[in-house]
Amino acid sequence: MRLLLVEDNVPLADELVSTLSRQGYAVDWLADGRDAVHQGASEPYDLIVLDLGLPGIPGLEVLQKWRGEGLSTPVLILTARGSWAERIEGLKAGADDYLTKPFHPEELQLRIQALLRRARGLANQPTLEAAGLHLDEGRQCVTREGEEIQLTAAEFRLLRYFMLHPEQILSKSHLAEHLYDGENERDSNVIEVHVNHLRRKLGRAVVETRRGQGYRFGGAGG
Amino acid sequence: MRSIQRRLSLGLVSVLFIIGLILAQISLWLFEVGLQRYLESGLRNDSELLLVAIVRGPNGLQLDEHRLSPGYQRPYSGHYFRIDFDGGHWRSRSLWDLELPQPEQPGLHADLKLEKSKQSLLLLHSEYRKFGQKVSITVAQDYTPVKASFARVQRIGLGLGLTALMLILILQRITVRRALRPLDTAREQILQLQQGQRSQLDEQVPLELEPLVAQINHLLAHTEDSLKRSRNALGNLGHALKTPLAVLLSLAEGQKLEGHPHLRATLREQLTQIQQRLERELNRARLSGDALPGVRFDADVELPGLFSTLRMVHGEHLELNNHVTAGLVLPWDREDILELLGNLLDNACKWADSSVCLCITREVDGFCLLIDDDGPGIPLERRDDVLGRGNRLDEQVTGHGLGLGIVKDIVESWDGRVQLLDSALGGLQVRIDLPERQVLPHTAS
Repeated sequence: MRLLLVEDNVPLADELVSTLSRQGYAVDWLADGRDAVHQGASEPYDLIVLDLGLPGIPGLEVLQKWRGEGLSTPVLILTARGSWAERIEGLKAGADDYLTKPFHPEELQLRIQALLRRARGLANQPTLEAAGLHLDEGRQCVTREGEEIQLTAAEFRLLRYFMLHPEQILSKSHLAEHLYDGENERDSNVIEVHVNHLRRKLGRAVVETRRGQGYRFGGAGG
Repeated sequence: MRSIQRRLSLGLVSVLFIIGLILAQISLWLFEVGLQRYLESGLRNDSELLLVAIVRGPNGLQLDEHRLSPGYQRPYSGHYFRIDFDGGHWRSRSLWDLELPQPEQPGLHADLKLEKSKQSLLLLHSEYRKFGQKVSITVAQDYTPVKASFARVQRIGLGLGLTALMLILILQRITVRRALRPLDTAREQILQLQQGQRSQLDEQVPLELEPLVAQINHLLAHTEDSLKRSRNALGNLGHALKTPLAVLLSLAEGQKLEGHPHLRATLREQLTQIQQRLERELNRARLSGDALPGVRFDADVELPGLFSTLRMVHGEHLELNNHVTAGLVLPWDREDILELLGNLLDNACKWADSSVCLCITREVDGFCLLIDDDGPGIPLERRDDVLGRGNRLDEQVTGHGLGLGIVKDIVESWDGRVQLLDSALGGLQVRIDLPERQVLPHTAS
């Protein structure tokens, strides 16, 4: 899952980037509204966390520009202005959720999880379910038929992305785009390695290889 | 203060009444004096005729009966005389058995009563010398018919005067009302202002009212402006404080403190306290309170946004019912009402199983807001605690638990009342009664 964080307060951004990375998200961070308008629309983000008090262009305007260009990525607004009038204004501008500062880091995590699931049309349950697997995003482990299987951080990221997009053909480059942030090198071999690790832990059928097209999760194992 | 209209009427009536009365009385008196003077010359003529009628006879002075006018012959005819001389006196036959009053001084005398009869006399007493003798002649005329006609004139005059007064009063009232119409309009507009039906007074007023209206408008604009500015400043302050607080909260939850559970707990507790206090005080400072609202709450415009926000935050599984009459306008600040309803509905949504209902009705002397949910409700004995200062409704449900505290602050600033009741849906009903905005006392004119 690749997130864009737009936040001008450096200490908070640092904190959020490290927390979100620990939770297995690839995070790009921008501090200026003008950059955000451009990058938010050009990179394939799965979710955007947007602060409203931005230098350059105010957050609400950035959001309106994105929505005006037809960008449908879920946007979570982060702001210190928590009155209902401002909240309604934010959601009218096209936000999908609203979190007021100061917030508990856990709450941000839950909201991001919920938004990602909602964007995929999935119910908001404590664990993510697909193809007989139950993924606990908080503990980063997966349960199959009552048996708990531990995952590495990279495997967790990959499996979560698969589970949020079940029965879809995902190319390696698509996966690389959504699993790594803009600064890390995207080596498609690494994805191959992690897919193999997942197969070893969860069974071969869990991810199917479509030659020349990419991978497909949960098609056969279902 | 009494109304200008009444004061003007009262002043005008008393002035007109007094002056009219004095004028009428003086003119009557002048007329009467003139009339008496005219009658006096007639009487003098009569007395001179009598003097001429006195002739020298065989036994001294004699009155020549042929020269007397017939009026002196008929009893109580209204014309009388009495002639006194050294040798005796003559009375007119018309006097019959009555005695003519005898004044001491010569000259005209009015209002003398002729005994027994109801006649009031105008009497001229004059002294002459004829044939070497002192002759005093008193002639009198009945004055009663003149007096009666005077009284009639007086009555008619009074009637006319009163009618004129009424007419003047009515005309004056119409004029004054017309002249004061801008004042009435201004008063009506201030009433509408109080009820939140308008935000500015009309500037098209007479010259005299212009500074007043301009000043009121200026004050209104100033209030709105300063409210906006202070809200903005509070927003900035909140932003400046809350972002570092978010950093600290995040740090307190971070891995670096995993080895110090005690430190983490203290940090967490203190930060939560700061956060709650900050939230509550900032929210309280934002309230516009009793100031006249700049933008009123128009239910048709605002509620759809609020409901879709709630749906977005709480998911689609909740049924949000809106039982608000179309076109309802609450005469309070839009942001305050949104804050009030937002917090209450948010709380209701957190607790509800499947449905939440908002109902706003217009009461006789205010508005009644009902927020119902079908959640577990709050037991009777805990309701007072929940309404207490900044209590958390529940530790598990996300949110800062300040919702009801802020609601209480808002409602109290409007002199309203919050009640927690049992809902017909099975859960909690929050009932808020907001009294009508205080309207300036006004007298119907």
